[in-house]
Amino acid sequence: MTNLPLNIDIQQILLHLFNFTILFGALYFLLYSPVVKFMKQREDYYKDLEDKAKANVDDTQKTKEEYEAKLAKADEEIKVIKTEAGEAAEKEHERIGSEARSEADKILKNADIKAQRDHDKMIGDAKKEIADLVSDATEKIVMSSDVSASYDEFLKSIEGEN
Amino acid sequence: MSKKRKVCSIVIFSVILVALLAGIFIIGIPGPKEESIQEVMKDAVLHESIKIDLFGLMQVNPAVISAFVVTGIFIVFALIVRIFVIPKFTIVPGKFQMVLETAVSIFSNMAKSNSPHKNGFIGAYAFAAGAYIFVGTLFELIGIQAVSVSGLSVSLPAPLADINGAIAMGVLTYSVILVGGIIHNGFRGFINGIKEFSLPISMSFRLFGALLSGALVTELVYYTMMLSFVLPVIVGVLFTLIHALIQAYVLTTLATVFYGEVTEPPKKKEKKIKKSKKNNKTQVEA
Repeated sequence: MTNLPLNIDIQQILLHLFNFTILFGALYFLLYSPVVKFMKQREDYYKDLEDKAKANVDDTQKTKEEYEAKLAKADEEIKVIKTEAGEAAEKEHERIGSEARSEADKILKNADIKAQRDHDKMIGDAKKEIADLVSDATEKIVMSSDVSASYDEFLKSIEGEN
Repeated sequence: MSKKRKVCSIVIFSVILVALLAGIFIIGIPGPKEESIQEVMKDAVLHESIKIDLFGLMQVNPAVISAFVVTGIFIVFALIVRIFVIPKFTIVPGKFQMVLETAVSIFSNMAKSNSPHKNGFIGAYAFAAGAYIFVGTLFELIGIQAVSVSGLSVSLPAPLADINGAIAMGVLTYSVILVGGIIHNGFRGFINGIKEFSLPISMSFRLFGALLSGALVTELVYYTMMLSFVLPVIVGVLFTLIHALIQAYVLTTLATVFYGEVTEPPKKKEKKIKKSKKNNKTQVEA
């Protein structure tokens, strides 16, 4: 089959094709396919790792957001509690102040009453003593002989008292 | 890959092999031919005079023997790697594993980028073709000797330095593209493939011409007495290496690009929709 120009020989072309087909089959089944399969497995392995890492990061982010929300809520609650406590303390302060004031008023009032009472009592006692003195002096004068002398004595005693 | 698909691919593979074998024997064993060497260069180009006996069945060009030797080397290497190396692959690759993975991923990534829609088969084809062209071209550097039918010692050339090898490669690549188009896009893929009817010729002659030009320049360097010391070694090795790389890259790139073109799914007709929208708008405005 060498009738074709340039030494082209169909039989030899077929031989080359036959040879390359065997080579292709051998390389595909023995080298290409197993290596590609292995590389795919490794790619899947790293993809799996990446997915897991991504999921972990997402979880961590979610937890962080939850904690931040909780913290914000706690801050809000603390603020509310502080305000309430401040208001309660203010009320208590006012209550204690008003109670103290009313107590003080009461004490003052009682003290006034007591002072008035003591004053009245002292006045009463003084009056009684004076009456007793007058009575004693009168009695002494009456008991003495001379009225004028008694009178003078009475006056003297009064002056002496004062 | 499912079991059914595996069995199917093995059956197809076997049928192709049997068909090729049948073709080889139906065409028949060539008879003896008068050989006349007229020019050294013509001989280097056409390999008309030197024939080697293939297992007593037929007389073939030395490049056919080279092709079988290269395939043999590949099969032994692949078997050793499959049995002893691949089962020990680790997640963090060693040096040899890295080399293998890089070699495979160069072609599979090329297929993915040039043929984004369908690239499983063409990736494997590009890998095999690239490896064959690269190693086959470097094979001539070893200079394995064979004995021709006339009793001469012949240094085995690169398989693709023979025009028959280059035509086989070009035709096979075109067939892969055409069949891929038909499988994935039906009649539309067939038409897309047929449009590139010059592809097998251009691919074949590009391969043949590129490899041959290196050989011819090396021959010319050898031919001049003054230049035949030291320089041929550098020129020969450099030309062979560069051609090996460039041709492997060019053929696989072309194959993946054309495969990507013929397997590209048809685009939806957006123009008609746009046109109808425009018409509606003008009607509303009117």
